[in-house]
Amino acid sequence: MRMRSGDPREMRAGRSTGEAVRTSGVQYSGRSRGAALRRVRIWGATVAAMLVLVAALLAAVGCGTNQKATTPSASPARIAVTDDAGRAFTLQKPATRIVSLAPAQTEMVYAVGAGDRVVGVSDFCDYPQDAKDVDKVGDFANPNVEKIISLKPDLVLAASGVQSDAAARLDELNVPVVVLDPATLDGVFEDLEKLGLLVGEQAKAKALVDSLHAVAKDVETRISGRQRLKVFFEIYSKPLMTAGKGTLIEDLVRRAGGANIGSSAGVGYPEFSQEVLITEDPDVYIAVAGAQAEPGDIAKRPAYNQLTAVKEGRVFVIEDNLVVRSGPRALQGLRQIAAFLHPDAFEGSE
Amino acid sequence: MPTGSPWTRRVWLSLAVVFLVLSLFLCLALGSTSISFGRVWDYLVGGAADDPAGVIFWQLRLPRVLLAFIVGACLATAGTILQGLLLNPLTDPYVTGVSSGAALGATIGIVVGLPAVPWLSLLALLGGGLALLLVYALGQRRGHLNIYVLLLAGVTLSQLLSAVISVLMVKAGEDLHALLYWIMGSFSARGWLEVEIALFALPLLAVPLFFARELDILLQGEQRALELGVDVERVKKILLVTAAALTAVAVSVSGIIGFVGLVIPHLARLVVGPRHRKVLALSLVLGAAIMGLSDLAARVAVAPSELPVGIVTTFFGAPLFVYLLRSRRRL
Repeated sequence: MRMRSGDPREMRAGRSTGEAVRTSGVQYSGRSRGAALRRVRIWGATVAAMLVLVAALLAAVGCGTNQKATTPSASPARIAVTDDAGRAFTLQKPATRIVSLAPAQTEMVYAVGAGDRVVGVSDFCDYPQDAKDVDKVGDFANPNVEKIISLKPDLVLAASGVQSDAAARLDELNVPVVVLDPATLDGVFEDLEKLGLLVGEQAKAKALVDSLHAVAKDVETRISGRQRLKVFFEIYSKPLMTAGKGTLIEDLVRRAGGANIGSSAGVGYPEFSQEVLITEDPDVYIAVAGAQAEPGDIAKRPAYNQLTAVKEGRVFVIEDNLVVRSGPRALQGLRQIAAFLHPDAFEGSE
Repeated sequence: MPTGSPWTRRVWLSLAVVFLVLSLFLCLALGSTSISFGRVWDYLVGGAADDPAGVIFWQLRLPRVLLAFIVGACLATAGTILQGLLLNPLTDPYVTGVSSGAALGATIGIVVGLPAVPWLSLLALLGGGLALLLVYALGQRRGHLNIYVLLLAGVTLSQLLSAVISVLMVKAGEDLHALLYWIMGSFSARGWLEVEIALFALPLLAVPLFFARELDILLQGEQRALELGVDVERVKKILLVTAAALTAVAVSVSGIIGFVGLVIPHLARLVVGPRHRKVLALSLVLGAAIMGLSDLAARVAVAPSELPVGIVTTFFGAPLFVYLLRSRRRL
């Protein structure tokens, strides 16, 4: 916009247009006034267009968020289960898009034959192989809620404990969450059947549970009548940690014919005194190995040469996922533990 | 500042030594299995024994108690030195950033998957040493070691390394537990290997005693100390390196245990006054004994399970520190 001095005499004095001209006021010539008006009109039109666009966007977004699943009031729910957290859960029809937030739950879903419907798993879900290719939704304690919602699941499986917060958050957002976190083998059987109901694979689930029951029964038969053995189950070596009350391991050890020394140390996975270990002198020593622990040469640890288990060579290592994940593979864990305790009862079998 | 007759001084120190020996015997005698004082003496004198109680004593209890005593002495001495150098009563041995360096070393060891024994302790020692070098280099200004810059560098480095450790922990995923247990101070499952590493700290414990007079003079400020003929730079360097090395050794064998390095020097000053020759000696003794007794509590309070010793020291140290803050007009 060129500004011209109002005084024609200054112009005639021959100042070039490049010079800065100090004027007391600014006047627009007729030509530039038209240009300015045009600019105002363009500006006004642009703003109006933007407002319309923003309004349209808001309307679209607003419509989008209103599309939450609402339970129809008319038809009765066809699938109703009570989950492990005691909550009543209903589904209109078998789940078709499943997100699993914990490895044990993932294994259970695949085992009942709904693996093709899994759309999201946690970072740690590595079994079966197919689970590794599924979209990851975050780690155990902090699943990515946005990611989960973006996958539009009609069933989200969560564990309890550290995941309770995440489950509650998802609940508030109207995401269908079911807590299935069995602490015993019986709990695993129950939850597998519930899961079968939720994914519409009742037959497969029943068959699976029956076969797993058979494994447990077989173990029970083979070891029946034998004396209970003292077992120490090492979860971690430094500090020494064991499986205490209420853990799956405690249940497996009991079913395998053992008495878990660690139960006296508390619930969950408490630390355990090495001195007490030596004094208790378990018959069998089992350590877990896997991503979290590397037992190393157990017999060479200080004072371990005093243990009967070490002297008699009854020190064993078991894969951690077979005894820590409360899923179908826990039966493999049970069988292995029983074989450790009573090798002669399992000779010749797989 | 005189604190009474020489007789009083000697009494306090003798009492302290008696306290030390008594605590040692107490820690060796008590545990999941009680061993009488007489048996403890027999074992100590008689050498390695073959019966189960003897094996427990020599392989499990003795190294653990010795380690607790050594680590307690290291942390208390380091705390005393740093409180004197920095003229700050709220200083604990971890301000130099050495503990974070040690933790980072251990984290790397865990993430890479090395066997815990002996690599975690060695890498921790290495990490602590490197952190010390870095912080020291940052504190050097034209040949003069600026303690406050060093302190700030230490605090900053601690924060930075903590962030790095967090990232590594997220990537490590399931190894997270190993790291958390390592960082959480504990003497659980520590044996003669850790004691061997900790023995490196023993000669270091004696170093500050040679500079007790200089530490006293430094209380009046560096300028005054220079005027009085103290080689301030040399003294600062030696004492700082000593304090950091003591901390590095302590952290590498037992993780991060709080409160001992902070509170024990104050306790010592409460008893024998501010002169460093006595404070250093008493800090060493009290640090050792109290750490040993804290570990004893950690071992027996929830038997057969164990508490992390850091919880015990904080549990007793925090109220004690509050009491000290309230009762003394000037720390």
